[in-house]
Amino acid sequence: MNLYEGMFLLDNQVVRADWKSAKNLVADLVKKNGGEVSTIRRWDERRLAYAIRGRRRGTYYLTYFKAAPEAITAIRHDFELEERVLRYLVLRVETLPETEVELAKAELVEGYTVPPPPSDDEPLPVEEPVAVVEEAPAEIVEEVPSEAGTEA
Amino acid sequence: MAEYSKSSRTPPPPIATRNCDDPRIDYKETVYLHKFLTPQAQILSRKRSGFCTQCQRQLKEAIKRARHMALMPFVN
Ligand SMILES: [Zn+2]
Repeated sequence: MNLYEGMFLLDNQVVRADWKSAKNLVADLVKKNGGEVSTIRRWDERRLAYAIRGRRRGTYYLTYFKAAPEAITAIRHDFELEERVLRYLVLRVETLPETEVELAKAELVEGYTVPPPPSDDEPLPVEEPVAVVEEAPAEIVEEVPSEAGTEA
Repeated sequence: MAEYSKSSRTPPPPIATRNCDDPRIDYKETVYLHKFLTPQAQILSRKRSGFCTQCQRQLKEAIKRARHMALMPFVN
């Protein structure tokens, strides 16, 4: 058994309905294939750097799990087919980061809530022209294709 | 001293505050990674990042992962 880090970007439509069941969706797929989930938590809700399947925002779930190398193939296969997962990344890691257990536990406390994801259709922020600065850029203005619509 | 006058529009190198034996560059550290992108979202060259070959490889890998996860933009 190796330790893996998995990041899963979920469609906010699923998260809006229930952020916990969205989390279970990820955990269940890992477990189904023989993985042992050490920690799982909602990592962040963000505007995406580019639209994916018409979605401009999404929620990231971060998990650390133990699995046999063969199980990873099966896990990847299942996530490929899972339409509610917009992107995923599974990496082999040596250790579970110190803070993960605590952060994952905090979400399990009764009454813990997260704000619902903002609307995908909110107007885009006004794009300011990228000024040529002499300093190294601290941030890049995220370009969002304007033709991206919402899927039915 | 290195000259960066080749193009006046080129930003000067960020100070590479990194030791080679630091923990691996993490694709989740997007605020940090953004410092190594040009305004067109290209990865800074090794010369400008100030990284050694190994660290630069880590940087590229981290940015590629962040792009895949839509945490960072692809080249405009
Ligand atoms: Zn180095």
